Amino acid sequence: MNVLIIGGGISGISAAKVALKGNHTVTILESSAEPGGLMARIANCRVGFKTFFDEIRDNERLTLISDAKIAKVDKKEDKTFAVTLEDGRALAADKVIIATGLTPYDPVEYKGKRVLTSLEYDAVIDQRQGELPADFNNIGFFLCVGSRSKDYPLCSSVCCSYTLREVKWTLQRAKPEITVFYNDLRFFGQEFYMEKAFRDAGVKFVRANSRYFEEDEKGVTVRYFAGGQLKEERFNYVVLAIGLRPNPQLAELSNLFGFSMNEYGFVNENAPLQTDVEGVYASGGALEPMNIKDSILTGFGAGLVAVKGPEILAKAEGHDERLYREDEPEFVLSDGNTTTCLFYLGTENPGNGMFYEFVSSKFIEAARDLRKAGKAVYVLTRNMVTPSYGEITYEEARREGIVFIHLEEDETVAFDGDRVRIAREGRELIFNADKVIRFDDYAKLLKDREYLSLYRSEPQLRWSPTKWGRKRYHVGFIRHPRDKRWEKREFLGALGEMILDHEEDRILPEVNEERCSGCGSCKDSCPHNAIEIIFEEKTISVFGPNNSTKVPIAHVKDDTCVSCGLCASVCPSDVISFP
Amino acid sequence: MKNIDQSRIFDLTDYKRQDFSVCLGCKICASVCTVNDLSESTNPQEILQKLFLGKNIPSDDHLVRYCTGCYRCTGACPWNIRIPEVIRALREELATRSPFEKAFKDSVSIWGRVYEPYVIIMAIPFLLKGGYIKHMTRWTEYMGIHLPHKVKRA
Ligand SMILES: Cc1cc2nc3c(=O)[nH]c(=O)nc-3n(C[C@H](O)[C@H](O)[C@H](O)COP(=O)(O)OP(=O)(O)OC[C@H]3O[C@@H](n4cnc5c(N)ncnc54)[C@H](O)[C@@H]3O)c2cc1C
Ligand code: SF4
Ligand code: SF4
Ligand code: SF4
Ligand code: SF4
Repeated sequence: MNVLIIGGGISGISAAKVALKGNHTVTILESSAEPGGLMARIANCRVGFKTFFDEIRDNERLTLISDAKIAKVDKKEDKTFAVTLEDGRALAADKVIIATGLTPYDPVEYKGKRVLTSLEYDAVIDQRQGELPADFNNIGFFLCVGSRSKDYPLCSSVCCSYTLREVKWTLQRAKPEITVFYNDLRFFGQEFYMEKAFRDAGVKFVRANSRYFEEDEKGVTVRYFAGGQLKEERFNYVVLAIGLRPNPQLAELSNLFGFSMNEYGFVNENAPLQTDVEGVYASGGALEPMNIKDSILTGFGAGLVAVKGPEILAKAEGHDERLYREDEPEFVLSDGNTTTCLFYLGTENPGNGMFYEFVSSKFIEAARDLRKAGKAVYVLTRNMVTPSYGEITYEEARREGIVFIHLEEDETVAFDGDRVRIAREGRELIFNADKVIRFDDYAKLLKDREYLSLYRSEPQLRWSPTKWGRKRYHVGFIRHPRDKRWEKREFLGALGEMILDHEEDRILPEVNEERCSGCGSCKDSCPHNAIEIIFEEKTISVFGPNNSTKVPIAHVKDDTCVSCGLCASVCPSDVISFP
Repeated sequence: MKNIDQSRIFDLTDYKRQDFSVCLGCKICASVCTVNDLSESTNPQEILQKLFLGKNIPSDDHLVRYCTGCYRCTGACPWNIRIPEVIRALREELATRSPFEKAFKDSVSIWGRVYEPYVIIMAIPFLLKGGYIKHMTRWTEYMGIHLPHKVKRA
């Protein structure tokens, strides 16, 4: 089968990998001179992309055409495509994958020599570009530039996370004072712990935004409003976390191939990872703003569904026992004779942070229902995590008259029966609500599950987006609790990832059962949860006659262990070894 | 203090309530508001929030009094929310007018156009009283007079 992939970014390459593994012929069309897309423009991601791409670069069934532009597409009777490029080359394609990615917003009206976009700032802190500027003492980051607005109502999903990463890279090279100005902090999984660590390290977070940037040769004066007051502060550099918008070239491709687009300029997803034209699939930033790990995930999925056909989903679902899913807990809101409801979307526990996304969407859903039933609804938010299309639902909720109160960092909330009191210096707001619904009560329902996104770090999730263990791939809620539309995409992505997984020769650790004391140190150290403590019947003779009893012994689960060797290194009695 | 009817305020703006309630709470409007150039700390978003919460807005609220109608907030706001229109409606409801507005309107009725020297003369008592003279460089800009100005250091 000939698979044509349009776009040589990380998502297109991921799709190519899966198709090549299935012995198909793959052509990648890249409109620029080099593959890589946005990832190749980010200093710390460039190498990752290259390593990933190098694995297929020399594959003889792969053709990469750079500087390519499609002139004409003919749809044949047999539902295949004849594609002609502008240089006259003709290509035959059985299946097409649209992976044209995202376009970063360009805030021309605010940019300057010291007011930089994240992409520009990235070049400043890039090791390879040499020394940091001499005056690098005070940096301000401003989120949501060019997103969540009238001309682009979606949340760009990644700018909060990449800002966190830029903070990290900055702190690795220098120790400037850093302030992050945010509307909401839309992080993913473990990033909430990173946030906590940076706060502890002195990074300031301010829940206010600004567009007052007065630049001169020495720095930038910024005004913002917080704590009931206008504040003015000087920064050496200001970084604007620019949003990611749809690629304008999608419109052209939509004309050529005949698939439709939604009102925001992304591909209309007819069925998971499929456009509404048979044989044309989509992945990565062509679908919606998404991060690298999701671009890889959807790339794997699109590559798979393109070569196996949409039927694969029904065939695998419920039949392939490597695919592991769990149901989400029921979210019941008893609504008696209430007239005023108040939701508190905030937690002091960073361990609950990763549930913000799920709980935010559930709260909005419930709040809208209550509002439709004519109740007064208030939502106090410390953080509202509604990435991508979720922001549209949030916008509708605001328009419908649900009142959202944005709590600033130093504002406290006290609950006293029906009375809720918000306070800070100079402001006091009191609400009387006959029903108060709190975040932590719902986060409790979600805890103590083996969420992949909680157990894996960002790079691990990036390169193997669904793999939990050798025979278990997490999809849907148990991978990462978020909107339902992701579950089917993850199913496909996991199937793609399985194809790529090669059985490497692993050496498993061996436990000397005679000497193991069952202390559990190895269990605690294992990053993959591959050790269980089992109780075995054992005959022991201490004094006098033999006694039979149960003793704890470490046991390695061979389908989960990745042979990292950590357990062997921590065992206090040295009973774990590698043969 | 007069009680204000919030739905009436929105009616007066010819603009639906939902066009205001889409506000994100980002307070970008406050960061650029001209009234804040003069001296008072005002937050246009708070006016909106008070209206949504059905809270009273005193007629001597600084923003209600001094909003210049410059639309800087609207220009910077991600949702282009037209706050000055709410404020104008509030003024109508609360029957107050800012010293600037009064000066502008009088100027137009006398000369048929905005005559800056007149506006300045009429606004002087207010400026002196509020100690606002030191911010003159800034607000004169909005009236079309461009004096050179330096950025204030923090
Ligand atoms: C400043 C910044 C920092 C970021 N940091 C992170 C981060 O730390 N972590 C993270 O997870 N994500 C991050 N992202 C997001 C990440 O870059 C994207 O999620 C990811 O690159 C999307 O991959 P993609 O393959 O879908 O699209 P892209 O990377 O945009 O690739 C699309 C490719 O298609 C090509 N193309 C476009 N149109 C055509 C056409 N008509 N014909 C042929 N080819 C075409 C383009 O040239 C490009 O090579 C960041 C983004 C930005 C802007
Ligand atoms: S991810 Fe969403 S909330 Fe965060 S900066 Fe981007 S647009 Fe704003
Ligand atoms: S080798 Fe690593 S993965 Fe395997 S059991 Fe030991 S600690 Fe766990
Ligand atoms: S129009 Fe009024 S509220 Fe808006 S920036 Fe100007 S002075 Fe401030
Ligand atoms: S700038 Fe607009 S969206 Fe932001 S707080 Fe002000 S009115 Fe609301």
